Amino acid sequence: MTAKLEWLDDPTVFRVGKLPAHSDHTVYRSAAEITQGESSLISSLDGTWRFHFAKTPAERLLNFEDVNFNTENFDDIQVPGHIELQNFGQIQYINTLYPWEGKIYRRPPYALGPDKTYPGIFSEASDNTVGQYVKTFTLPENFSGHDVHIQFDGVEEAMYIWLNGQFIGYSEDSFSRAEFDLTPYLVAGENKLAVEVFKYSTAAFIEDQDMFRFSGIFRSVNLIAIPQVNVVDVHLKPVVAADLHSGDLSIGLTLAGDLTDTTAQITVNNPRGETVLDRTVTAEQHIQLSEAFDDVALWSHRQPDLYELMITIFDSDKQIVAVVPYNFGFRRLVKDDDNRVTINGVLLHLNGVNRHEWSPVGGRNVTLDEMETDIEIFKENNINAVRTSHYPNQIPWYGMCDEAGIYMMAETNLESHGSWQKMGAVEPSYNIPGSIPEWLDVVLDRAKSNFEQFKNHPSILFWSLGNESYTGDNTVAMDQYFKSVDDSRLTHYEGIFQNRVDEDRMSDVESRMYASPADIKDYLSNNPKKPYLNCEYMHSMGNSVGGFDEYVQLYDEFDTYLGGFIWDYIDQALYVTDEVTGKQVLRYGGDFDERHSDYEFSGDGIVFANRQPKPAIQEVSYYYGRYDN
Amino acid sequence: MDATITNQLQIVYGDGSLGVQGENFHYLFSYEKGGLESLNVNGKEWLYRVPKLTFWRATTDNDRGSHFSTKSAAWFGADMFTEATSVTVNVDGKELGLPIAPENNRFSANEHADSVSLTYTFLTATTPETTVKVIYTVVANGQLNIQVDYTGKAGLPELPTLGLRFVMPTVADGYSYAGLSGETYPDRMTGGQIGTYEVSGLPLTPYIVPQEMGMHMQTSSLTVSRSTSLNNADTSTEVGLLTFKQLNEPFAFSALPYTAIEIENATHIEELPVSRRTVVTIYGEVRGVGGIDSWGTDVQPPYHISAETDHTFDFTIQPTK
Repeated sequence: MTAKLEWLDDPTVFRVGKLPAHSDHTVYRSAAEITQGESSLISSLDGTWRFHFAKTPAERLLNFEDVNFNTENFDDIQVPGHIELQNFGQIQYINTLYPWEGKIYRRPPYALGPDKTYPGIFSEASDNTVGQYVKTFTLPENFSGHDVHIQFDGVEEAMYIWLNGQFIGYSEDSFSRAEFDLTPYLVAGENKLAVEVFKYSTAAFIEDQDMFRFSGIFRSVNLIAIPQVNVVDVHLKPVVAADLHSGDLSIGLTLAGDLTDTTAQITVNNPRGETVLDRTVTAEQHIQLSEAFDDVALWSHRQPDLYELMITIFDSDKQIVAVVPYNFGFRRLVKDDDNRVTINGVLLHLNGVNRHEWSPVGGRNVTLDEMETDIEIFKENNINAVRTSHYPNQIPWYGMCDEAGIYMMAETNLESHGSWQKMGAVEPSYNIPGSIPEWLDVVLDRAKSNFEQFKNHPSILFWSLGNESYTGDNTVAMDQYFKSVDDSRLTHYEGIFQNRVDEDRMSDVESRMYASPADIKDYLSNNPKKPYLNCEYMHSMGNSVGGFDEYVQLYDEFDTYLGGFIWDYIDQALYVTDEVTGKQVLRYGGDFDERHSDYEFSGDGIVFANRQPKPAIQEVSYYYGRYDN
Repeated sequence: MDATITNQLQIVYGDGSLGVQGENFHYLFSYEKGGLESLNVNGKEWLYRVPKLTFWRATTDNDRGSHFSTKSAAWFGADMFTEATSVTVNVDGKELGLPIAPENNRFSANEHADSVSLTYTFLTATTPETTVKVIYTVVANGQLNIQVDYTGKAGLPELPTLGLRFVMPTVADGYSYAGLSGETYPDRMTGGQIGTYEVSGLPLTPYIVPQEMGMHMQTSSLTVSRSTSLNNADTSTEVGLLTFKQLNEPFAFSALPYTAIEIENATHIEELPVSRRTVVTIYGEVRGVGGIDSWGTDVQPPYHISAETDHTFDFTIQPTK
């Protein structure tokens, strides 16, 4: 297959050659590797890559992917990292309007009619910067004899990849892992990987989140050696009975490779380290087991007890070929007929924050240290819930939330804000995804990526369809998808409030943003259809967070009030060397000469961009502590 | 000075000011500048200019979003340009009007009193204008009580704040206070813990856009420590202390190196000038910060400050030895 540039213009093309999304487990060669914390089946490609920046698709270098193409004149770039933060492209912050506001007239293909396709809308655009990346690598010795995949954990917004001049695939969805099979084109010795990243594609219409607009390979890239028998997917369904005592665990495994005379040993240790399940089964492509337990330890915010699953694959010589550990938890999330939501029988209080992934140095390329600091700040301040606003986060974050007992609303990478709301007013004349057939598959794919990757995390209580994308059959289809694959969690979407037409077709909760306490009270006092939560509230811009008491008091008054997520956790601002004093200072939207911008609207955190808590956090800590459930 | 009358205040009936002195303090009330011109304690000067009525707070993001600052912009001008229109002097309960020459020719170099009170009347630079009185009363041992009386006036927009600010000649080493932990506002102070807190320097809260900051509600006592001065002959590095104390009700305060109007125009912290002064403002009324959103919703009703009703507050300054 050859790569086609016009895929950038076509919302129906968003994955070419990309492997199906699967659970986020890590495969090791041995139990010893797990103890060491490093799998020899993974080889990182992070580091310095060669790079050519083109201001437009027309100016990009043709055939740069060819093995013989001379990259001597290329620059260096750090991967992972945003292109703009390495000063190739201009930094821009903008909230709801599309980043090309006032510069280029665009409408989403198909939004105004089936014939409105706008060929060249991005592929021939004057604002679509291109990053051409080259990385040469030699496979580690212990990769020999293995199939090799490549995993991109985050690339914004559209990428084409080639190996040794051969086209491998195309991917959109900046925030979900993209995996490709490199095996057919690998050579002995040096291999040339070429990745072409476009700042815009039709994905730009549905990645209009309130954030700095970056492009590039901003999360890690890894080569994966596939064991001769691979654990492709793990699907755990821990179910707690109504007695909150007994439970069932269903384990679904998808294996691939030569399964002849292969066995899989599956063990489960409870939180006390006692083995409560140890079963060996003949390996098949799909393994389905279940086990009943009399007395399960429950996972909750207060006591996030985790069980340890271990899958060990033995070949015909009883040699271990793959080991997969996975921590999971039992908890019972119930929405009852009275619209009360309980976790393990206790009313759910979401004392939460919205969290953009943010570093004042790396932008959305946050480090593990920064994530750990966030968890510490959560724990210190009685924050028990997080919404991954507004996209899937780095994979380690989910495990951290499992361990720390943080309730999560896992949001899908979807926001089409500029297509339906302009200057604060609802104006959905060219809204996407809406009910437009050409925009269905792409949003379903995003939902599926979100679910498949993170389905085993006990921290996730809600699947969120996305943020501020209005309403229509396509978001309804996303909700139905989540419902069809998962009956252990609730769905969330705030678009039902913007237009009530689809209210009964999606979202298990009434979700609003920035509703006043009086409006919430009004909703909950008048035969509410659903439990209520604030997907965003208490706008912590600058010196704010006054009047918190009026929100938390709703817990006292209504069993159907679930609390919500403060907007937001961390200011988006960047360290810059002050052009006058030479000192490091924090800069925000508009500080890079970029126009249009939404300026200081980027700073709404309860911590500053450098994670120093804002004074208001003591109020958050107090009330969230008082209403901890 | 007559050494036998140590408890009484020594009064100097000047022609442009009234001096009030004691063992370790010397106050100078200006008849021209609209207030206390000198607050000298243990030889250290604590005032750079006379205390000013404070009506403005640097616009918060929520104030901007709700157009509060636009609606109350009159108070920005009033904060800058309100002047005293009259001053009267009362000594030991006797009204003396303005005792300048020739009226004061009857006094000597050895005048004493138990209490001295000066009332400064201000007309706000607003339309309509209203009256604010600042009453300074000095009693035995130099205790300086200050009362601010604001007269409500129909038609005036809501007040951003109401306070009296003291600009000190140099940057303080720090301050300690008895009150609530952290930065608090009337609608954001439940989480504050009562205690005594030491603050080093005059820290700014690094909001990305500088704005109203550093408020401490429900304070019973504030002591500012300062070891520098502008006095060229003063080589002492001894730390001077000045204590503000609650009289009737607890007060709110902020201690920053800038006035609200200096902060107002900065879009980044680094645009603010090098710190040179200490700005201590004692507030009688503080507006809430709000939080429901930053694009229109006002602060909840209990946390507004009406300009149409009267407000009064008081506190005292003690010249600790």
